[in-house]
Amino acid sequence: MSDEGEGEGESEEHENGVVDVDEYDDVWVFIEEHDGEVMSVSWELLAEARTLADELGDDLVALAIGEGLDDVAEQALERGADRVLVADDPVFEPYRADPYGDQFRAIVEERKPSIVLIGGTHTGRDFAGRVAVPAHAGLTADVTELGVDEDGLLEARRPAFGGNVLATILCEEHRPQMATIRPGVFEAADPDGEADGEIVEVDVVVEDDDCVSEVLEREVGDTADITEADRIVAVGHGIDGDLEPARQLADALDAEIAASRAAVDEGWVDGARQVGQTGKTVRPELYVAVGISGAVQHLEGMNKSETVVAINNDPNAPIFEHADYGIVADLFDACPDLAEELEGVTEPQEVVQ
Amino acid sequence: MSWTIAVGVKQVPDADEVGIDPDTGRLDRASAPAVMNGPDREALEAAFRIRDQAGGEVIAMSMGPPNATSVLEEAVAMGCDDAVLVSDRAFGGSDTWPTSLTLARTAEALDADVVVCGEETTDSSTGQVPPGIAAHNDWAQLTYAEAVDARPDENRLVARRDVEGGHEVVAADLPVVVAAAYGEFEPRPAPLHRKIYGENDFEPTVWDAEDLEIKDEVGLEVSPTSVGGMETVDPVERKSEVVDDVDDLAESIEEVVA
Amino acid sequence: MSPELESDTVADPNYDDEFDAIVVGAGLAGSAAALTMANRGLEVLMIERGSSPGAKNVFGGVLYTPTIRELTDFENAPVERYVAERRFSMLTENDETAFSLRPGEWHEEPHNDSYTVLRGEFDEWFAEQAVEEGATLLTSTTVTGLLREDGRIAGVETDRPDGTIRAPYVVLAEGGNSLVSEGANLKATETRENVAVGVKEVLEFPERDGVIEDRFRLTDDAGVSYHYFGEGAVGDAFGGGFIYTNDDTVSVGVAYRIEDAATHDQSPEETLNAFKSHPAVAPLVRNARTVEYSAKTIPEGGADSIPDLVHDGAAIVGDAAGLVLNNGVHLEGTNMAVESGYHAGNAIARAAENGRVGAEALQVYPEALEESFVVQNLEHYKWMMDAVEEDRDLLFEDLPRAFADAGTEYFRIDRTPKESHAKNAKRAVLDAVGGWTGAAKLALRYRKVVT
Ligand SMILES: Cc1cc2nc3c(=O)[nH]c(=O)nc-3n(C[C@H](O)[C@H](O)[C@H](O)COP(=O)(O)OP(=O)(O)OC[C@H]3O[C@@H](n4cnc5c(N)ncnc54)[C@H](O)[C@@H]3O)c2cc1C
Ligand SMILES: Cc1cc2nc3c(=O)[nH]c(=O)nc-3n(C[C@H](O)[C@H](O)[C@H](O)COP(=O)(O)OP(=O)(O)OC[C@H]3O[C@@H](n4cnc5c(N)ncnc54)[C@H](O)[C@@H]3O)c2cc1C
Ligand SMILES: Nc1ncnc2c1ncn2[C@@H]1O[C@H](COP(=O)(O)O)[C@@H](O)[C@H]1O
Repeated sequence: MSDEGEGEGESEEHENGVVDVDEYDDVWVFIEEHDGEVMSVSWELLAEARTLADELGDDLVALAIGEGLDDVAEQALERGADRVLVADDPVFEPYRADPYGDQFRAIVEERKPSIVLIGGTHTGRDFAGRVAVPAHAGLTADVTELGVDEDGLLEARRPAFGGNVLATILCEEHRPQMATIRPGVFEAADPDGEADGEIVEVDVVVEDDDCVSEVLEREVGDTADITEADRIVAVGHGIDGDLEPARQLADALDAEIAASRAAVDEGWVDGARQVGQTGKTVRPELYVAVGISGAVQHLEGMNKSETVVAINNDPNAPIFEHADYGIVADLFDACPDLAEELEGVTEPQEVVQ
Repeated sequence: MSWTIAVGVKQVPDADEVGIDPDTGRLDRASAPAVMNGPDREALEAAFRIRDQAGGEVIAMSMGPPNATSVLEEAVAMGCDDAVLVSDRAFGGSDTWPTSLTLARTAEALDADVVVCGEETTDSSTGQVPPGIAAHNDWAQLTYAEAVDARPDENRLVARRDVEGGHEVVAADLPVVVAAAYGEFEPRPAPLHRKIYGENDFEPTVWDAEDLEIKDEVGLEVSPTSVGGMETVDPVERKSEVVDDVDDLAESIEEVVA
Repeated sequence: MSPELESDTVADPNYDDEFDAIVVGAGLAGSAAALTMANRGLEVLMIERGSSPGAKNVFGGVLYTPTIRELTDFENAPVERYVAERRFSMLTENDETAFSLRPGEWHEEPHNDSYTVLRGEFDEWFAEQAVEEGATLLTSTTVTGLLREDGRIAGVETDRPDGTIRAPYVVLAEGGNSLVSEGANLKATETRENVAVGVKEVLEFPERDGVIEDRFRLTDDAGVSYHYFGEGAVGDAFGGGFIYTNDDTVSVGVAYRIEDAATHDQSPEETLNAFKSHPAVAPLVRNARTVEYSAKTIPEGGADSIPDLVHDGAAIVGDAAGLVLNNGVHLEGTNMAVESGYHAGNAIARAAENGRVGAEALQVYPEALEESFVVQNLEHYKWMMDAVEEDRDLLFEDLPRAFADAGTEYFRIDRTPKESHAKNAKRAVLDAVGGWTGAAKLALRYRKVVT
């Protein structure tokens, strides 16, 4: 068994990966992009991290890995980054865990950030561990709240045990303090147009020949961003493959379609529209749950909605306890009826838009 | 050519039964029965599919307390060829760093070509253990795998991954760590005689930290993160009005969107 | 240097003929049989389709324990309350006329061997007792058929891959919906008149503590068993309703002939809802929340419907053998299930000791059952079902109505003398039963209920 490659050779490191925390500063945000398209969670994090950095008196640094990143770097500056680090190379396109992880880790070990925030997307959650493990950093997954305590320590809060509890996770003696953050929990700030920070090209430390994985095929799917929607009609396993009733309702309400994981797993709705613990967090003014039972993992993603309406034919479905208004009815009857009743309710809005 | 496939299975408190004690307001975890983490059943199924294609053995591995043998017995009942429990008091207080180290060393000791994990556990739900195992061993990884395709002749495993904005098909060199996307691998029913055997007559091997030579690299000491506090979250207050007909519902909705 | 795997794993386990007996169903009858056989040194495999014993069992609630107490240490059994009151009510649409018993003796051990239980917990515990005696329990596995060799039963087939397993004896303890026994032609499919459907809800009272004690006038572990008949209970169907108190929930349900349920325009669920909103019942279940709903069949063919209990290599026990006494006054199946399981288990143990598998080797089981209260009771009340069926309108509609009217008359407060009220009351009853002659005939017909 070997211990190499685990950062143990680092001079400043004490036993068990404990480091001198004073050598680490700045707040980093990973800007996730695929084919030039930036994931909105990255902008959400950048806005939230600005507050943290100001509180700590640190710089806010954006880090982008990919190919052809000029635009992305520019946008990051416009959205408030003091500095953007870019690792720009064809080896990073499309995304793969091993080159991303190795590159990210090299930059971290060289520049010693105090805090590193990564969007809790599949991509973020995929490579974060490949950075944290060799760096012996603290990594908190799936965070929904961030703060700093009086000693300047990052307080990463995350739901545990089906959302019944909010646990605060600290990383006292290791650096960086890393976290993956659930998409949709923070508001993205608008770009202010000013881009007065600097863009730094970092050394690319990986080569294709060293990579242990190869992307054979890529299919682009639905890239809808349900986290921005004001009104959502979410469908569950109860729709039994038939989206039409929910679509009618969504049309009448001018709402976006979202889904439970069960509906996504069946392939009825694209994963980009999944709400919940392993999907997105949404906070619309109206959330209509159609044929959704109300499992904790689902509730976690929609609990912040202003008004929740449930349509379910099982009077004992837990969703009714988590809804403001509910009707015990067959969705195949209730949705079209409701759509008809509501036809035109939102029309004035459409005119204004 | 035949592969050794190790599967990480964890014993967790039954998610449906973990609740808040109404009197103390505290989390009531101890009274919930211990069961196999749901996503790990699917990891087992993914492993069996790989075995079906590549041949070889599926070995379940769990890091946990002595009574976690029950999830390994279940794993053998479901079709694993063998199972190992890694158990030691020294593991107490481990976060994902030492947990993935322990499982990484176990996979090495088993001479695994493939490690299959669940997407995440229902108790700690980090999803960080599989990439952690890969990182500790510097192996390839395929997370959020919705389908697996073993290519023994290429010495690679191919997976269809669910990623932001679509899907991708990725090939990884062995050894590789796979995290099976939850909901994509419907577990096959356990064969009758195997089920009787696994649940009643099988006993897993038990290794401790010494066996894996990681005594000083596990536990609270090496865990970078610690729990600073736990607050119970008050459930969001909802009106919970159930109406009888669509008209009333429409009215309530109109008030909201108007 | 790396550690070795030391488990001596069996690559292709095979349990054919490893067990002396297979029990189909880990309900009361099955666990009693398994416990008895394991106790006598047999290797026993219990196969249960639910994810745990009791997970799929519906049952209103009073467990009769005379036999269980003999078979195992009953002290730690998960019972809810002992039955301290039995109440029989006749309901018309709006009236209730009731008769209630609260003997002091029932407060004392062993509480007349009558306890309310939740089967999910109780069956799991009872099966566990068999496991502790050495039986093997396999859950989430459904027996789909019987294996025959040379004309005799030699094992079972299940819904699992590699799912056939051989053993010299099979105990069919699959309950009232006995698809395996019927599929193997060990018994005829019950005619619809002989099957009742039972639906039950478990209710809890989230608002405050002590609701059950207050409403049912209870202290400590005392509980009640209320039975209801008449139109107000299950409409014009043949059957009744019940309420049993558990520790902090109540079980409420209705049970009636499937024949009526099918022709009736109400679903069992609707019938139960109507029962729950009867003015005499509603206050007892007010502000409750349903935590469980379930439905199941009850065989009620009585003594005539008992199939051949033993076959070459197999025995049938409990509800699968139609061993339920359900006549309106008594609803007893649990004690019969356990008693039959016990006798069947004994018979098999004895046959196994002598190395015999033929039906005649198991004959001691039906013989012992004949001698026991099980068949005695079923024989004794055989006439009753027929009689009740014949007098159905009278018993379920006219009589409850007449008693309600009579009571109303008898206690009427107005300015006419009491004598005329009494006369009216008497007339109401006599009219219903067909005068004095009718009353005498009825009394004669039903005298055996008490004699
Ligand atoms: C690790 C992990 C992570 C998870 N992450 C998520 C997540 O991010 N998001 C998520 O949603 N889930 C997640 N889940 C899954 C979650 O536990 C539930 O399984 C899932 O939310 C159930 O989806 P559902 O409500 O659509 O389906 P079901 O639970 O099957 O409910 C379907 C509902 O439809 C109703 N219905 C059926 N027919 C009709 C009809 N004709 N009319 C009206 N109503 C009808 C039924 O009464 C039922 O209540 C996760 C699970 C795990 C273990
Ligand atoms: C609503 C209702 C109220 C009742 N109230 C009372 C009462 O108050 N007092 C009383 O004494 N009796 C009462 N009874 C009757 C009593 O419940 C039964 O007589 C008793 O449960 C019979 O026990 P059993 O073991 O024969 O069958 P069950 O308890 O039905 O057990 C059969 C078991 O076999 C399993 N099984 C079935 N088929 C298969 C298969 N193919 N493969 C594997 N497993 C299988 C089932 O899952 C079940 O666990 C009531 C019944 C009902 C329906
Ligand atoms: N203690 C453990 N023993 C075995 N496998 C584990 C353990 N912890 C996590 N895993 C595996 O890693 C997956 C992800 O776990 P987690 O990162 O804790 O959400 C699980 O689904 C398991 O397959």
